Amino acid sequence: MLKYIIKRLLFVFPVLLGVSIMVFLVMHLFTTDPAAIMLGQHATAEQIAALRQSLGLNDPLYLQYWRFLSGIFHGDLGRSLMTKTPVIQELLARFPATFELAIASVCLASLVGVTVGVIAAVKQNSFFDYLSMVGALMGVSMPIFWLGLILIVIFSVTLNLLPVSGRIDIGMEPTMITGSYLLDSLFTGNIPALVSSLKHLALPAIALASYSTAIIARMTRSTMLEVVRQDYIRTARSKGLAEKVVIIKHALRNALIPIITVIGLEIGTLLGGAVLTETVFSWPGVGSLVVNGILASDYPLVQGTILVIATIFVVVNLVVDLLYAYLDPRIHHS
Amino acid sequence: MLKTRKTLLSLTLVICFMATVVLAGCGGPQAEQTGGKTLVFSQGADPRGLDPAFVDDGESANIIVNIYEGLVKYKDSNTEIEPCLAESWTSSADGKEWTFKLRKNVKFHDGTPFNAEAVKYSIDRQLPPKRTDDMPYASFTFGPVKEVKVVDDHTVKIILNEPYAPFLANMAMCLAAPIVSKAAVEKYGADFIKHPVGTGPFKFVKWDMGQQVVLEANKDYWGEKPKVDKVVYKFVKENSVRASELMTGSTDIMNGVDPNDVKTLEAKGMKVVKNPGMNINYMGFYCNRAPFNNPKVRQALSMAINRENLVKFLYQGLAELPNGPLPKFMPGYDASLTPYPYDPEGAKKLLAEAGVKNLSFEFITYSNPRPYNPVGGEKLAAAIQADLLKIGVKTTIKAYPWKEYKDALAKEEGDAFFYGWIGDNGDPDNFLSLLDTKEIKTTLNSAFYSNPKVDTLLAQGRAELDPAKRAKIYSELQKIVVKDAPWVFLSHSLDMAAYSPKVQGYALHPTGVSFLKTVDKQ
Repeated sequence: MLKYIIKRLLFVFPVLLGVSIMVFLVMHLFTTDPAAIMLGQHATAEQIAALRQSLGLNDPLYLQYWRFLSGIFHGDLGRSLMTKTPVIQELLARFPATFELAIASVCLASLVGVTVGVIAAVKQNSFFDYLSMVGALMGVSMPIFWLGLILIVIFSVTLNLLPVSGRIDIGMEPTMITGSYLLDSLFTGNIPALVSSLKHLALPAIALASYSTAIIARMTRSTMLEVVRQDYIRTARSKGLAEKVVIIKHALRNALIPIITVIGLEIGTLLGGAVLTETVFSWPGVGSLVVNGILASDYPLVQGTILVIATIFVVVNLVVDLLYAYLDPRIHHS
Repeated sequence: MLKTRKTLLSLTLVICFMATVVLAGCGGPQAEQTGGKTLVFSQGADPRGLDPAFVDDGESANIIVNIYEGLVKYKDSNTEIEPCLAESWTSSADGKEWTFKLRKNVKFHDGTPFNAEAVKYSIDRQLPPKRTDDMPYASFTFGPVKEVKVVDDHTVKIILNEPYAPFLANMAMCLAAPIVSKAAVEKYGADFIKHPVGTGPFKFVKWDMGQQVVLEANKDYWGEKPKVDKVVYKFVKENSVRASELMTGSTDIMNGVDPNDVKTLEAKGMKVVKNPGMNINYMGFYCNRAPFNNPKVRQALSMAINRENLVKFLYQGLAELPNGPLPKFMPGYDASLTPYPYDPEGAKKLLAEAGVKNLSFEFITYSNPRPYNPVGGEKLAAAIQADLLKIGVKTTIKAYPWKEYKDALAKEEGDAFFYGWIGDNGDPDNFLSLLDTKEIKTTLNSAFYSNPKVDTLLAQGRAELDPAKRAKIYSELQKIVVKDAPWVFLSHSLDMAAYSPKVQGYALHPTGVSFLKTVDKQ
């Protein structure tokens, strides 16, 4: 097992290095000159050149990349070109919001996805099965951006039940401890803040969870269908066990391994910032930070943020793989 | 057994439903705010920063104008100048020395006094050798300034390199010109961009990145006190989501209204402000080479374009028809100007007179929307292409993303191009100098238009301090430009904002920012 962990850990570094090179190149080769954006419509070619010089953008690309890389090893992701704030500070300020949204979405997606998947499998070819799978197809194919706007129109504008955007009602922010409004309001016993942040979380979490829910439901259904046809399930049934026990204790438990993998991957993706959801709902997380950075060609901000997102993704993947290997010993033996 | 399970399921559903209803009933977007009146203003993005020396974006300007003030300011409904932190000013006979008498008993939000030293400090940090490369407006605003002298505590003298009448308008600008607290800049250093301290009607409280900037009323403000206690700038990227926020009552005012949302907003009782913006959307000809070095060809094409239809259909009426380069509210605007009317037959005749047959040429344009052309350059080019085809002129369109487009312009690609201008200081020279021969090398005069008479009038306008005499100079200049037709003046895009009927006293300034001192909320 230890050998397997070391082997997997060694793979992490080339992946991150590859990501850092790719982000660096994409930003430097395919985006607008940040100096031109910073100086606006009056900038002459000389002024832009002078600013590029002082930002170090005229240096050869390999030198700029080396500076970026050596900064990372010193724990310094650079300063945002636009706000002049350290990138790490910007990220830390935004991460709790993304974390809160991602966790809420994963919980929602897992709960609904697994339940629907199990029921659909048990009642294969029933009306519920067809309905849920059509729903899952819609969940996979519906653009989140559009779904978000529809949710706003129905629940906020028409029914006036939930707020349109943001994380909490103005002026109700709880005392900051972790940066997560849900946790902070719980820790400080601030019930109005808790209610307000839950209400603000509802629509973005539903929109963001739609895709993951659909994937998890489909995965659960197909895995469950495979498992319920296994001999040991037939044995369990012939032993006279209640159907509920057969499904939950015997079938679901064995079907869970691939489902956990999917859930783990979804956590990684969602923590990386749900760009569209955060944009629609003005959720001040990492996703909207990246969008703003790309629009302003803010090289250090985008490079730093993407690298951190990639690291989170790789680490979550690694944890899932290790968990998988732990649950199913056949994996690391092969 | 089955019955019990069903009962349990129903009970769970009922509890879930009730919980939702209870949660929905608690607080809510319309929750009462504690601590007085709070005005919520939604805009599309965070400011880039709140130090007027380091930013040039509209989001920053919109907040900065409520925290800081300059020596002079614009009038409420136009870009004429009136006193602000300076009570009065005089200029020397040669127009090179400007003496400002400062308002007394004014304090910065940090309690330090506003005086001549503060003015000198605010300008000096944007002059060489202190000026840094990332100060976008420093050379535009203070380029003509030679030095700033403190005469006494409440008198400051600004010496220019040469007479420059637009200087006063520069001192009213929302960016670069506002006066900052020296003590605060020294205290916060590079972080001053996030800890603004000015003399304005509102004080900075906090900035939650990606979320909001909070300001509170400045109780010690020297002028008329603000009517609300707190202003919250909320950042909501999507225009339609901002509109939803306004309709549900969680926002009081929003800017950047999407034209598609106007009807819905008005139907819901919201008030929509549509102001002519400080911009011009134009089609330019390369006047330095055939076929457009012949004024008759330019005039003919100007007559072939149905500008009224562009405004009515392409811009859905959300633009104004220009009669020249300047928007209505700017000094120097001349209502008597008559641009070429839409007359396809006349255009054909002019082309024949010019001896041009079977004219065909290439347009270059930008592919993205611009503030002066919200539909984007390609749609505009296509509309004009159809007009020109009616008089037998064939065109091809080449579109580029914005950066590549600017490069293509610098390389003089195509025969005609689409461009525009967003005003900076509300002074006519800011628009008209785009037609100055000396701006050809800076690429601002992309049309390569060169007329010695226009250059002379521009120089006279810059040196003339008497507003009436300046207006006369600019009137003469614009008549020449309209006749020469280096540009087809297509439209002035409207600036839009919307607000709740609960809000009183709100106006969108022609410069595109919102001054909130006089705004109240029921």
